[in-house]
Amino acid sequence: MADRRLPALLLVLLLAFAGAGRAQAPDPLDTIRQRGSITIGVKADYPLFGQMGPDGKPEGLEIDLARDLARRLGVEARLVTVTSANRLQRLEDGTVDLVLATLGDTEQRRGIATLIEPNYYASGVNLMVPPDSRLHDWGELRGQKVCATQGAYFNRQLAERTLVDLQLFGNNRDARLAVRAGRCVGWAYDDTAIASELATPDWAGWKMPLRSALVTPWALALPRSAAGSRLQRAVEDVVADWHRDGTLLRAEQHWGIPQSDFLRRANALWNETDGSGAPVCRRLENGRWPEACRNRALLSSTEATGLMRLGLAVKEHFGLDLSVVYDGYDRHAFLLGLLRTLLLVLGSMAGALALGAAAAMLMGRGLLLAWPVQALVTALRMTPPLLQIYVLFFGLGAWLATRWGLAVDPMLAVLLCLSLYAGAAVAQALRDASALLAAQVPDFRLGPATLRRTLHAARGSVTGILVNIAKATGMASAIAVPELISASTSIMADRGNLGVMMNLLMLTWFLIILGTVALLRRGERWLERQGAASGAGG
Amino acid sequence: MDLRELADLLWTWTPFLAGGFGWNVTVSAVAMLLGSLFGAGLAWARGRDRREVVWLAAGATSLSRNLPTFVCLFYLAFLLPKEVALGSLVLEVPAWCKASLALSVAVAGYVADTLGSALADRRRGRPDAMLLLLPAWTTYFLIIVMASSTASLIGVSEIVARANIVIGATGRDDLMVWVYLYAMLWFLVFCWPLTLLMGRLQEAIRDRGLLRPAPARPASPAPAPAHPVPAGAMAARRG
Repeated sequence: MADRRLPALLLVLLLAFAGAGRAQAPDPLDTIRQRGSITIGVKADYPLFGQMGPDGKPEGLEIDLARDLARRLGVEARLVTVTSANRLQRLEDGTVDLVLATLGDTEQRRGIATLIEPNYYASGVNLMVPPDSRLHDWGELRGQKVCATQGAYFNRQLAERTLVDLQLFGNNRDARLAVRAGRCVGWAYDDTAIASELATPDWAGWKMPLRSALVTPWALALPRSAAGSRLQRAVEDVVADWHRDGTLLRAEQHWGIPQSDFLRRANALWNETDGSGAPVCRRLENGRWPEACRNRALLSSTEATGLMRLGLAVKEHFGLDLSVVYDGYDRHAFLLGLLRTLLLVLGSMAGALALGAAAAMLMGRGLLLAWPVQALVTALRMTPPLLQIYVLFFGLGAWLATRWGLAVDPMLAVLLCLSLYAGAAVAQALRDASALLAAQVPDFRLGPATLRRTLHAARGSVTGILVNIAKATGMASAIAVPELISASTSIMADRGNLGVMMNLLMLTWFLIILGTVALLRRGERWLERQGAASGAGG
Repeated sequence: MDLRELADLLWTWTPFLAGGFGWNVTVSAVAMLLGSLFGAGLAWARGRDRREVVWLAAGATSLSRNLPTFVCLFYLAFLLPKEVALGSLVLEVPAWCKASLALSVAVAGYVADTLGSALADRRRGRPDAMLLLLPAWTTYFLIIVMASSTASLIGVSEIVARANIVIGATGRDDLMVWVYLYAMLWFLVFCWPLTLLMGRLQEAIRDRGLLRPAPARPASPAPAPAHPVPAGAMAARRG
């Protein structure tokens, strides 16, 4: 009997030992609740986010957040000042329980600390420009001189992805002074740092007008040992609530920081509900957040499912970042761009046909209208459509805005311009065809009744004109219409997948043109059948 | 607005804008040169006996006909390196070179088509076919000059880019349209007389009575110049 009891006794002892082991390392959440306080590492050298207040104590956006976090966990906040260099070390050696100190969320840092998702803020590269600047899109900066500070990690990426001409200066002050002296259109630097500069009287009236590029999200961090703990889960829930209830947006506003795109989008995302009214960003059965609510840049294929898993696996194995396939946000932007491009293509072709036919018939009247229409047609054909778009959009747009308070939709402006421009060529082609027909058919005159026949005679030229106007619709990107080219360049700027996006753009456009040609061929065949049916051969 | 003030402003900036227009012409001329060489090569290859060569050339021609110049411009601007290393020598690739290359894609397709059909016409006994290439080629050059304005979008300092600089520098929004219209005038003054001249030249070649005018070919694949600015070629501007 005793022999049989021995293994059972050993098992009991083992279990007791294991239980004791667990008891020796309680969940950090219990520890801080017992202690009644949480020690948080914050910065004091980052204006507006964590700066030294007049009373010698740190203050700023992150300090407010640290206090709020402690309150929501039901404990006191004890703040300890850390620096960029020592913040993760302080976390590992136990000096602080948590770090809330402008920490960027990167792959490497995830290896040495427990980074909290969702991210609570994000910084990116933006441009500080003089008060009279009219910039509003990175696309306008291609080839322009932009001042930057030597050594900033994003300089190279920025130059590659936006094609700006970077002028490097030894320090921030020199770079800013160069902008003031007019040597560059603006100073490219970290947007949060620019925000702190703009808050000082030196730069009153200066602006930060662009959408931040190369965005790096910031994360709260717990020690490595806290991975999977209840504290991690509790802190994650607090940050999620900050996004949901607008705490972060309010804190940003309170400190006079320009509203970040990241917070605005996160606020919308964390308040989004699915068909059944349940929040989209709720914990899955495995305790994780859904893919749509996570840091897309750091998700790996093992953590993702479905299309995203496939896309991430392709990225990890072949280095091809097909974000427009697997990432919902990029996919949406790309498809919306494609839709706009298709609308522009079809709209400008239809517009050119209608205007061209009308102009050709008016010119055929030979009356007063003829020479102004002829002059307009010549002027339209001898000047670049890009300039025509500028004149119509900025000129007519400004006039309508001051006179009638009307805003011109850029897409409509482009449609009108391209229709006019190609319409002029269509009109000329129809006039030439009608001249040929008049030589063959007695009493032939271009009018509504003979339009189809003239169109049939001119179909070769007209098809060529329409295909080419379809190709020219990309020009809409020049006045910031978010069509296919704009969508692709902005995805590229975010992701850095230049090769993939440019090849995809080229392929998509090739298919669009093939489709357009096929459509026009059908139109030509229809005209031929109509001609055969009415018995009026060309 | 004060007309005199406007005239003063435009006059002050005229040398600057004229320099920009010089770039438009340069970029276009280089594009014509490169595109014509490449297009002639394609036309030559399409006349060979080997089937694979013909297919390859036909494929390349179709590609250059169907790719929008505008998209080529962005493609090359982003994907061509900023500089090329030849051994120890590092050559910078300026934006205008990329623009010329992008525009030459369309030129190659156009030249391959027109040269191909001109060669075919000559074989059919129309000796003026090759002579007619000159006005057609010049007219296409004008189309490329206008298309070169899009190079402003990748940072080439041509007239549209410089017009934007002038507008930005003077900070006068009310002058914006006038500066753009003035830039348009440059294109009009450059292109219109040459277009009329090429139309005359074309008629003169035909009227020399070498052959009767070609019968109307409404659905000709290559846009044959038929009037001052051939509608087909005109429209091929973004080609």
